Amino acid sequence: MADTVKISVTDVIGSGFCVASGDGQKVYEKIAQAFRANEKVELSFSDITDLTSAFLNAAIGQLYGKFSEEFIRENLSLKDLAKEDRVIMKKVVDRAKSYFKDTEPYRQAVRDVIGGNDA
Amino acid sequence: MNIRLQNIESDFKGFSDLIAVCERIKSCGPDDELVVIFPQWFDANMCVVLGAILHFSSKKKDQISFEWINPETKKIMQKNSFLFFLGFDNSIMLDLNGTTIEYKQFSQGDYRSFSEYVERNFRGHGLPEMSEALLKEFRKSIFEIFENAVTHSETEYIFACGQYFPYKKRLDFSIADLGIGFYRNVTSKTKLDLSPVQAIEWAMGEEKTTKSGPIPGGLGLKLIREFVTLNRGKMQIASDSGFWELSEGSVKTNTFSSKFPGTVVNIEINTADSRSYCLEEEIEAEDIF
Repeated sequence: MADTVKISVTDVIGSGFCVASGDGQKVYEKIAQAFRANEKVELSFSDITDLTSAFLNAAIGQLYGKFSEEFIRENLSLKDLAKEDRVIMKKVVDRAKSYFKDTEPYRQAVRDVIGGNDA
Repeated sequence: MNIRLQNIESDFKGFSDLIAVCERIKSCGPDDELVVIFPQWFDANMCVVLGAILHFSSKKKDQISFEWINPETKKIMQKNSFLFFLGFDNSIMLDLNGTTIEYKQFSQGDYRSFSEYVERNFRGHGLPEMSEALLKEFRKSIFEIFENAVTHSETEYIFACGQYFPYKKRLDFSIADLGIGFYRNVTSKTKLDLSPVQAIEWAMGEEKTTKSGPIPGGLGLKLIREFVTLNRGKMQIASDSGFWELSEGSVKTNTFSSKFPGTVVNIEINTADSRSYCLEEEIEAEDIF
């Protein structure tokens, strides 16, 4: 992986309201698409007004069902995330790790069906 | 037939009395006329409970009328648009004190309207004593409640209303739906043999979620619980016949004699709270994954 693609959350969802799971899904698809194209992702939260766990579960938590922790740590970076929003982001990530723990067979099945660059 | 309400506050008795109204409406015949007589005091956020009940009983709406023994109670319901929205009054009274938070009904999944509503009501609107950090956490909580109703309740409509009590430095905000409720959702998905109260307790437990599939869940309500505890506020859930309340850091439960046809979540926050809501030890962005 060499290139880094910059993804702006507000550009992807068209507003600063990062609240709906469906909008989180749009962000997830952008990230997963970049990962599949062997690109690193810098995800910007500039200009967001609201951020919920429902949004982050879909946008970020879902990645842990398809990509390994090591792969995500290596290839995803966050920008412009407010201090207080890092708290909820960390909880979502920890929850996702726990949710997908011992679900390798599930992850393999997902990869088999829709593909993925799990490292 | 007259239904004379006693004072309605955001507590077990208040919910219970309004659920009893639902039962009275359900039992009335096609030729009956119902007069709901409002008491001296009615916590305005509880309009969502009554609004949801009236929507649930909409076929009988023409048989229902309202009377007030305290004109101030009627004024509040004119100021927060409750009477206008339900078609009981043609006028909306201006809220010069800025303490009401409008009553509104949303279609399931209408995030755009709900976001506009939150922006309209919780951005520089009569909430001068609330810190930016508290406002942000509060907005996060109400979006989580809305999302929870959208994801889990299978409801057609979601109802919202609030009230700011400046002298008590408290703000109550309630969201109701007419969906399947905690009891049916939790018991059908987990196959556990639980009562309506136990179903709420299960859902409020650590890392509990009825969600399955590729997107993790089980955080939203717990985050609200954490926030309310830190804020020294209050959180109440009324669903089916179950009532759950977090106050002063402890949980109390109770069972209604009848069922609410959906779920109500009420949060009451302490607006004087000046906490930062950041962790003492700051999290670096690169340490998150």
